[in-house]
Amino acid sequence: MIKIISLLAVIVLIAIIALMLGRALRGPTVFNRMNALGVINADATLLIVLFGYIDGRIDMYVDIAISYAILGFVGSIAIAKYLGGKKL
Amino acid sequence: MNVKYYFKLVAIMMIFWILLSGRFEVKFLIYGTFTSLIAGYICMPLLMLKSADGKNEYFALGFSIFRLAVYCLWIFWQLITSNFALAKVIVSPELAIDPQVIRFKVNMDNPMALTVLANSITLTPGTVTMNVTDDGVYEIHALTDDAAEGIRAGDMQRHVARLFGQDENFIMIDDEKGAAV
Amino acid sequence: MIAIREIIAVIMIVIGLLFLVISAVGMLRLPDFYSRLHASGNSETLGMMLTLLGFVIYEGANLISFKLIFIFMFVFIGNPIGTHILSKAAYKTGEPVWTNKNNEENKEGGSN
Repeated sequence: MIKIISLLAVIVLIAIIALMLGRALRGPTVFNRMNALGVINADATLLIVLFGYIDGRIDMYVDIAISYAILGFVGSIAIAKYLGGKKL
Repeated sequence: MNVKYYFKLVAIMMIFWILLSGRFEVKFLIYGTFTSLIAGYICMPLLMLKSADGKNEYFALGFSIFRLAVYCLWIFWQLITSNFALAKVIVSPELAIDPQVIRFKVNMDNPMALTVLANSITLTPGTVTMNVTDDGVYEIHALTDDAAEGIRAGDMQRHVARLFGQDENFIMIDDEKGAAV
Repeated sequence: MIAIREIIAVIMIVIGLLFLVISAVGMLRLPDFYSRLHASGNSETLGMMLTLLGFVIYEGANLISFKLIFIFMFVFIGNPIGTHILSKAAYKTGEPVWTNKNNEENKEGGSN
């Protein structure tokens, strides 16, 4: 049952990521693009956990998900700092 | 350096060590103890935060666990209820939004309390903190009128002030609706 | 017993996915950057938290579920910080705020 729901969730998340890519390509300013990339980052973390359940090796994938979450957070903060300039 | 705060920090680091290594043999626990003692000694000066006027000094993790648990439960409940309201606004066909900027000033001087308040306001749907100054002026972007009313009522400010044992009062400033910045 | 736990987990995962979809819809529909931050910052957080909580309930009490709780706490603390720093950067560089009043002259965001 958890495998079926994981597959469904993967399909939904990939659809969301496709929509967010559209927003990132279209979005009027750089901040809209950053926002869409943040959403993609968060969804990718979830996607890694789901892949772990589909593969049956969640003990390995959950470590990757932790490091991915931390790296995504640090990356988005670094880019926001860069965009904000000296005023931030 | 305050010994009580130091051991609190070491305990938190030790929990993370056990969580991430996943081993319970004595050898690894001893490694972890020494590592967290050294890392805690290095990190300690970074976690002592000075208030904006430089008079008081606070420890970043200096709040009681029990109050933190109560606060987390409250904020989680708040997150769920107001998220349903936001979801209703987003999926309704006419998109009844009224974005506005509101400002208020709090009397807290603990930098950690200011951070937690900014984070909590961002976490509650319908309000996003846009700017915080050192002396406690908040600029909030509210999506709907209800969310702005929630900020004006001030439940969030009171809960955060109680968590850190700070002054509960706050004042609204420059409260014109839909101010274009 | 296991079946009941699995059903609760699946229900939570489905609700979480629903919130993720709502956040994506909000990202596409809302008119300007700050409004979109509401959708991405909040519905996204709750959706991820509910989905991870569903997996924690499915796992029961072991090391994997503790690690999932670690991701959960990290999302709970880190997501608002990311949202806030992005909105602060936009505010300081002068991104305009869309309101019902200046609706007419501020069309480039578009309501789509």
